[in-house]
Amino acid sequence: MVRRQVLLLALLALGVAGSAQAEEKKLKACFIYVGPVGDIGWSFAHDEARKLTMKALPWLETQYVEAVPEGQALPVIDRLVKGGCKVVFTTSFGFMDQTLEAAKKYPDVVFAHTSGFKRAPNMATFMADFYQLYYLNGLMAGALTKTGKVGYVAAFPIPELKRHISAFALGVRAVNPKATVNVKWINAWVSPVKAREAAEALMAEGNDVLAFTEDTATVVQVAGRKKVPGFAHYSPMHRFAPDFVVSGQLVHWEKIYIDFLSKVRDGTYAPGKLKDVDYWWLLRESAVELGGQPGLPINPKYVDALKKAQMTVGGKQVSVYDRVMELLKDMSSPTPTFDPFTGPLQDRNGATRVPAGRVMSPQELNQMQWVAPGVVGPVADEPK
Amino acid sequence: MMEEFLQALTRALSFGTPLLLASLGALVNERAGVVNLGVEGMMAVGALAAFGVASETEAPGAAVCLAMAVGALAALLHGFVTLTLRANAYVSGLALAMLGLGVAGLLGKRYEGAILFEPAPELPFTVAAGALAVVLWGFLHATRPGLVLRSVGENPAAADVLGVNVMAVRYLAVAFGGALAGLAGAFLSLAYRPAWTDGMTAGLGWIAVALVIFVGWSPLRAVLGAVFFGLLYYLQFRLQDQSQVPTELFAAMPYLLVVVVLALAGLRRTQGSAPAALGRPYHRGER
Repeated sequence: MVRRQVLLLALLALGVAGSAQAEEKKLKACFIYVGPVGDIGWSFAHDEARKLTMKALPWLETQYVEAVPEGQALPVIDRLVKGGCKVVFTTSFGFMDQTLEAAKKYPDVVFAHTSGFKRAPNMATFMADFYQLYYLNGLMAGALTKTGKVGYVAAFPIPELKRHISAFALGVRAVNPKATVNVKWINAWVSPVKAREAAEALMAEGNDVLAFTEDTATVVQVAGRKKVPGFAHYSPMHRFAPDFVVSGQLVHWEKIYIDFLSKVRDGTYAPGKLKDVDYWWLLRESAVELGGQPGLPINPKYVDALKKAQMTVGGKQVSVYDRVMELLKDMSSPTPTFDPFTGPLQDRNGATRVPAGRVMSPQELNQMQWVAPGVVGPVADEPK
Repeated sequence: MMEEFLQALTRALSFGTPLLLASLGALVNERAGVVNLGVEGMMAVGALAAFGVASETEAPGAAVCLAMAVGALAALLHGFVTLTLRANAYVSGLALAMLGLGVAGLLGKRYEGAILFEPAPELPFTVAAGALAVVLWGFLHATRPGLVLRSVGENPAAADVLGVNVMAVRYLAVAFGGALAGLAGAFLSLAYRPAWTDGMTAGLGWIAVALVIFVGWSPLRAVLGAVFFGLLYYLQFRLQDQSQVPTELFAAMPYLLVVVVLALAGLRRTQGSAPAALGRPYHRGER
């Protein structure tokens, strides 16, 4: 039904655009996804955003290629550019170098790469980042753990995950300074079998709250089965375990796509002008949302427990619930005053990483290799 | 400590269940002399069929039956290609593995990421797998049909002379192997991780193939082997950062062990316990 409505809308938009504007005024944007679009994870979120963007921009035409292995973006880009794509979004960290190569090969095409840090005159980067949300979820996890051990199933030890796990751990420790975040790596984005066994291992080690960064809902299902609180990631997973999903991270990529494509169309982002274009959109831009499903920042079943849990902020006792809500409001405002990565911060080996009073820049966050105190588990490429 | 042991055992049994089911199936068709490397693919179509039925009708029994039927059908395709057309069984099996994964991925698009809100319990599958191993052992070693099946795998020409329909026995054995692979798939998508994700078999079919060799084609040893491989899989996560051994080694262990088993058999200049006519097509009047 929804699909039919989208189709109708798209057709309507087509009709309007077709009659009012010349054919060459259409802009063709293409999307390359690393996973299948129905994976309820990362690629699904991008594709939902693509559809919303189509709805919002009647002059837009889109095409997508799903389940592209990380080493094989280049031939796909070749094909898309030959097919008339003027804008190419590559939506996985692993596509970074190949996108850069393609940008050199096709100087007239606009490229935009998600979650990386390399840019070119015709290649921008964009990210709707979750680190603020991970911090807020960390606060809740810290309040809900009874054993002081929070389990975390993680895909790959790349900067993005280190940043998120660290933000989460900073939140956990802000409530419970002795708590640990125990990480198991599964070295896969989509592997329900590994995710299940990793989550089971975490439970066996005494973790009584589960969080994760990978592309399936497995961990939420395990939390539901074992009846422990868990946090959703990327997609609305609340319904998968309604009594046990406390909160989570949700994304709204369309906010970025609509802004970016509008600027490509009006010439602001012509090829050659993108060297410094880096979207780093957070709560303030509404590119991300706190919750296990849209409109539900905290599962009502956990509100009481979070209101009872106390933490110390600036020498005063406040409830964890109030703290989460206060920070959520602050970081969603036009001028946030709080950032989880505000110094002084040390890494887990005791080295100072952010001096007092400084806030980490998006670039530093994008290249972050250290992890925060409280994170337990092997971490590849960690500076000693 | 006791608790830790029990937890590890539980995980080994849970993860070992699909391994045992699939490898018992493969074991039977190999004892009849037919190699089918397509376990992974049959498991995938079985998993999808089961998930499709369960999510549309909420009838787990029907879901399991359909998964087994679909697995058997896929296996019969392999049977037709290798038994009737006498194509290379290894190539056909590899093709079936890829075909099954591809077909499941394609047909499963509409279920991608969906979950079952009423998951099936794991225990009945585990118990059934264990019981089946014992029954199969009895069947193979103490019954006449079991003897017939083994003779077809050891010396099809002799069996033929004795009036055994070699082709029929092999077809049946292949279909049985497929049905059990389908059942293993149903366990995955109904109980173990009640959801559908493309590629959710995650290489389990290959471990099952390796397991058959590792346990020397014995159904009883397959139980121990499945639990052992299940334990290894669990330990790769449980022991992460808790031992000096890189845990990737545990994940690679099933394959390494097979290499060791095969190498040992090779050193003794025997085929190990492999059925003598394993992988050899049989046609009357040819040697």
